[in-house]
Amino acid sequence: MNSEKLDQLFGYVQERCLWQFFSRSWDRQENIDGILKTATDLLTGEPPAKETPMDRLFYADAKVMVQDLKDRFPWLADAGPAQVRDLMHGLKDKLVEFTITKSLNHELNHTLY
Amino acid sequence: MPMVLLNCDKDIPEREKHIYLKVDGEDSRDFLPVSNAPTLPGTLSERGCAFCGAKLVIGGVLKDTIQMIHGPIGCAYDTWHTKRYPTDNGHFNMKYVWSTDMKESHIVFGGEKRLEKSCHEAFDEMPDVKRMIIYTTCPTALIGDDIKAVAKKVMEERPDVDIFTVECPGFAGVSQSKGHHVLNIGWINEKVGQLDAEITSPYTMNFIGDFNIGGDTQLLQQYWDKLGIQVIAHFTGNGTYDDLRRMHKAQLNVVNCARSSGYIANELKKQYGIPRLDIDSWGFNYMAEGIRKICAFFGIEEKGEALLAEEFAKWKPQLDWYKERLKGTKMAIWTGGPRLWHWTKSVEDDLGVQVVAMSSKFGHQEDFEKVIARGQTGTYYIDDGNELEFFEIIDLVKPDVIFTGPRVGELVKKLHIPYVNGHGYHNGPYMGFEGFVNLARDMYNAVHNPLLKLAATDIRTGIATPVKEAAE
Repeated sequence: MNSEKLDQLFGYVQERCLWQFFSRSWDRQENIDGILKTATDLLTGEPPAKETPMDRLFYADAKVMVQDLKDRFPWLADAGPAQVRDLMHGLKDKLVEFTITKSLNHELNHTLY
Repeated sequence: MPMVLLNCDKDIPEREKHIYLKVDGEDSRDFLPVSNAPTLPGTLSERGCAFCGAKLVIGGVLKDTIQMIHGPIGCAYDTWHTKRYPTDNGHFNMKYVWSTDMKESHIVFGGEKRLEKSCHEAFDEMPDVKRMIIYTTCPTALIGDDIKAVAKKVMEERPDVDIFTVECPGFAGVSQSKGHHVLNIGWINEKVGQLDAEITSPYTMNFIGDFNIGGDTQLLQQYWDKLGIQVIAHFTGNGTYDDLRRMHKAQLNVVNCARSSGYIANELKKQYGIPRLDIDSWGFNYMAEGIRKICAFFGIEEKGEALLAEEFAKWKPQLDWYKERLKGTKMAIWTGGPRLWHWTKSVEDDLGVQVVAMSSKFGHQEDFEKVIARGQTGTYYIDDGNELEFFEIIDLVKPDVIFTGPRVGELVKKLHIPYVNGHGYHNGPYMGFEGFVNLARDMYNAVHNPLLKLAATDIRTGIATPVKEAAE
C-alpha cells in the first residue's frame, strides 16, 4: 500500500469529517464501517446501498467525501478497484486506531449517552 | 512538550494537563487536554453553571414557554437577555422573565407552596401560554423542594397546561455542559413521543443544536423551505415546546452543536432509529457541504445544487471582498467548545484568517479531538482557561481579534484588542452564506476600528496608557 496516498486520504478525513468523532466508540465504529464501505462502492463503480435510513445516511456522507477526494487527489482516477479497496482498508484501520483504540478520550466507552 | 505549563500557572502545575500546543509529528493519540473536569482550586474560571447550561442555552430559547426559575432573583437575571435568540412571535422569550424570588424565609420553611403559587400566577397573567419549564436552582435543590410534585399538581388543576421540569442546580456539574445533558436526556425520556405531527413533505428532519442566535434558525429555514424539507422540530432555535414533543416523527436528525445537543440526537437514533447527521452551519464551504449531504440523504441533489448556485452568486463576491482584506489576520477563539472546531477551518479556508489560540469553557475531549484534527500547528488549545492564562497567551500569539463572550471581552477590551461576541454575535446571524458574510464584516470592522487604538493613547502625553493587571 502506498503510505503517502493513505496519509493524504487520512489527512482529508481528519480535517473534514465529523462522523469519525461521534460520542461513543460504537458510534464511531459504525460510521467508519458504513461510510467507508459506501465510499469504496462509489469509487469502484458498485451501486451503493440506499435501502435503510442508515444506508442513506452513509451514502450522504460518502458521496460528499468521494467527490472531495476526487477533486483533491487526481491520482484516484487512475487507481483500479483493487488499489482503491486496499487504500480504503488501510484508511479504515488508521481511523479506528486514531479515533477508537488509541484515542485518549475517556468518554468513549461510557454505556450511556 | 505539547502540553504546556504557562508561567502564570507555576503554582498550579496541574493546569499543564489542560493546555496543548500542536506541533508536527504528534497527534491526539499522544496528547489530549483534560476537559469536562472540575475547575482547579487557584484558577479563576470563566465557566458558567450547570443550571445556566439548561436554561440559558437550550430551554430559554423556546418561543412559547414560561421559564419558571425556582430560586433567588439573581439566578433569573443571569439567564435573561444575555443571549440573543429572537423569535418570530415578537421575542416572547426575551421580553419576560419568571422567578419564584426565593428569600430567606422560603429557604427556611420550604419553597414548594411559593413555586405552586408562582406557576398559577404566571399562567393567570399569560392566559394564552400553556407550556412551562420549571428549573430548580442551587438553594431550592439543597432544601429538597420537589418540583416534579408541584408540576404534577399544577397540571392536575390545569388540564390544558403541560410542564417540564429540569432538576439541574448550578452545582450539579463542572460547567454548563451538565445542564445541556440533563435537559437533553430529561426531554427525550419524558416528552418526546407524546404528540403526533402533521406531515406536509416527503422530506422531514429535526434541526438540532442551533439556538437562533441573531436569527440563525430563521436564516437557515429559508434554505429548508426552498428545498421543500419540513423541519419537524428545531432544537431549540425559534422552536416550540410541542414541536419538540414530536421529534420522533422526523426521518433525519441534522446536528450542528454536537456538544449541547448531541445527546438527544444519539437517543433519537437509539430509541427511534432516526439517523444522526452532523454538519457545520458556519462557513461557505461547510454550509455547502451540509446542504449537499442533507439533499443526498433525501435524493434531492438537483434542488440542492440550484440553491447553492443561487446563494453563491449572491454572497460569494461579498465574502471575497472581506477575504482580500482579512487575509493573514490572527484570530483567537475563546468560546464554549464547539465553535472552536466549527470555526477554525472555516475562517482559514473562507477568509484566509489564521487561528492562533483557542480556549473552551465546557468542551469535552471529543471537542478537543475535533479541533486538534482541524486546527493548525503552532496553535494553543486550552481547556477552561483563566484570566492570567489569557494575558500570557495573548503575549505569546498576539492575536489581531478575539472572538469570545462579554466576560473575556471586557478583559481584552482593556488591552485594546478588538473583540467580537462569539456567543451572541455582534450583528448576526452568522450561520449560512449570508451569515458568514456578516461574521466577516464584524471581524473586519473590529480589526480596522480606530477607536481601540485611540483609546489606548493618553492625549496629554501622546503615549500609550499602561495596562495594569489586578495583581500588580
